[in-house]
Amino acid sequence: MDLPCGTRNYDYAKDMAILRTRTHWALFIGLLVIVFTAPLYLGNYWLGVANLIGITIIAVTGLNILMGYCGQLSIGHAGFIAVGAYTAAVLTNRLGFPFLAGLICSGFTAGFIGLIFGIPSVRVKGFYLAITTIAAQFIIIWIITHWSVTGGFVGISVPYASIGGISFKGEASQFYLIMVITAVCILFAKNLARGRVGRAFIAIRDNDLAAEVMGVNLLHYKLLAFFIGCFLAGIAGSLFAHWIGFLSAENFTLTDSILYVGMVVIGGLGTTLGPILGVIFIRLLQQGIMYISPVLENAFPGLPAGFATGVGPMVFGLVIVLFLILEPRGLAHRWGLFKSAYRLWPFSYCLDIT
Amino acid sequence: MAEFLQYVITGLAVGMVYALIALGFALVWKSSSVANLALGQLVLISSWFTYGMLVQASLPYWLGLPLTILFALLLGWIIERFALRPLVAQPILSLITVTLGVAYFLEGVVSFIWPMSVAALPRIFPVEPVHIGPAVVSQEYIWAAVISLALFGLLSLFFRYHRMGVAMRATADDQLAVQACAIPVTSVFSTSWMFACVVAAIGGVLISCIGGITFGLVETGLKSFSVVILGGLNSFVGCIVAGPIIGLCENLGGGYLTPLIGPGIKDIIPFIIIIIVMFIKPYGLFGETRIERI
Repeated sequence: MDLPCGTRNYDYAKDMAILRTRTHWALFIGLLVIVFTAPLYLGNYWLGVANLIGITIIAVTGLNILMGYCGQLSIGHAGFIAVGAYTAAVLTNRLGFPFLAGLICSGFTAGFIGLIFGIPSVRVKGFYLAITTIAAQFIIIWIITHWSVTGGFVGISVPYASIGGISFKGEASQFYLIMVITAVCILFAKNLARGRVGRAFIAIRDNDLAAEVMGVNLLHYKLLAFFIGCFLAGIAGSLFAHWIGFLSAENFTLTDSILYVGMVVIGGLGTTLGPILGVIFIRLLQQGIMYISPVLENAFPGLPAGFATGVGPMVFGLVIVLFLILEPRGLAHRWGLFKSAYRLWPFSYCLDIT
Repeated sequence: MAEFLQYVITGLAVGMVYALIALGFALVWKSSSVANLALGQLVLISSWFTYGMLVQASLPYWLGLPLTILFALLLGWIIERFALRPLVAQPILSLITVTLGVAYFLEGVVSFIWPMSVAALPRIFPVEPVHIGPAVVSQEYIWAAVISLALFGLLSLFFRYHRMGVAMRATADDQLAVQACAIPVTSVFSTSWMFACVVAAIGGVLISCIGGITFGLVETGLKSFSVVILGGLNSFVGCIVAGPIIGLCENLGGGYLTPLIGPGIKDIIPFIIIIIVMFIKPYGLFGETRIERI
């Protein structure tokens, strides 16, 4: 177990608590303080990056429930996020819904669309499902760009979020909104994963036939996984719409879908921590590439003209492949190893690296 | 009537090319049960490479086109050796995801080397259009269909009679038994990847002769998945039957539905077919239903 020696369980509630020791509590409070004072020392630009990270964490947490826990591959996640984003945009802009109602509605709309495309998962898996979700991605984006309600190719503008009388206009106020919703979603995913539903998902992932024999209702739980995964995608999409202020279909491409899958893999499939680490890693890598590519272009004038646009996808593709080959359990596993080594120090050689 | 005939002929021709590209997928799937989702990007990069050879380096056809084939062979070998060999016997999720990573990487390479997003290949085939009944069809379509069919025939013969072809079919059947017969499974895998890349490259060149080189070629590669799905995942017959069906649906639907529904419907018809097939008959027309054991 990943707890220090001497942590005793006196009752069941204590055993199930997420924060078990004083150190946990201290670190958690430290994290809260750091996150919620971030607008004081982060500039507007980095707050924007943090907002995008928060939104992406929600979406990727949903994908992780679908892919990491239930084992159902989805390469159309950007399409489901688009459903959420456009639902929020249409509801708040055209019909004058309040922000929170739009948020919930977009979650449910994305969830139901995901449910429809998830129906084949009951009979097929693996590659078939991957292709179905790719098809879903293309069909959703086509409908969005050709339907007058969603603004078509022109796009649609979205008002800022507001709850009660408070309007979330600047990056800083949106930061608080997004962080709170992200925290709620992470807590939801964590509790889902260790409850009855999560165990059923894991059983389906490991062997769906065996799970069915043991009495797990495959139809129910696979569709539930699709619904929850796409519900979170819809929530993320709604937040994204209110954050960016103007939607066009270019924000939701197949390339983005692949990147989301990459984030889950890099972070670690089937862990709550994985999506968080994976998203932060990839988004910071994006920032690093954006920072370094003009520098490199100035330093080496002989580079081809496509350097700035091409180097990002090359690096991401390479990172996904390398992680799959070298560390298929992702960053979350590395973090676990680090914690164990720290706890066992100075006897870290006792650590059984498997 | 002329319009209808035109749609049918061009649809059949494009469908043949889809079938050819889909064959590249089926090859890899049959021998190593890896789902190659990088198909679209393989089509894209080899078309751009042909452009680089024929236009940028202005090589003659007899040198440029064989160089493209060589490039495809090398690419297939590299992908198999460095991305897929380390993941032999991993779960299918990893195998699919690694091809996605490769796809992403190749897309980056394309926009790295060829930043212009649109280009046209020089005319490889004669310019004069052909008159078939009342329809006027440009020669590219005819050549595309003929070359695809010829390659299809050649590959079928290869699988029927050549030692490597037989080894590939055997590997698809039972990897352990094949190893016991001293057939090098790894070289079977890399050969199948090399073949797949060559087939994708030829399909890409044929398609870009018709429509030019754009990022839409990725979608062309993805559309050939609908051929695989409709035909059945491990059936060569399925590919050659389903390809023209998809081409026909795409062209006829594109021709007659565009005024009704809106522009661009042509591009998603193959994807709609995928969804329909998934709901009705997920293992396709000729595919075998997998019976699993715990």
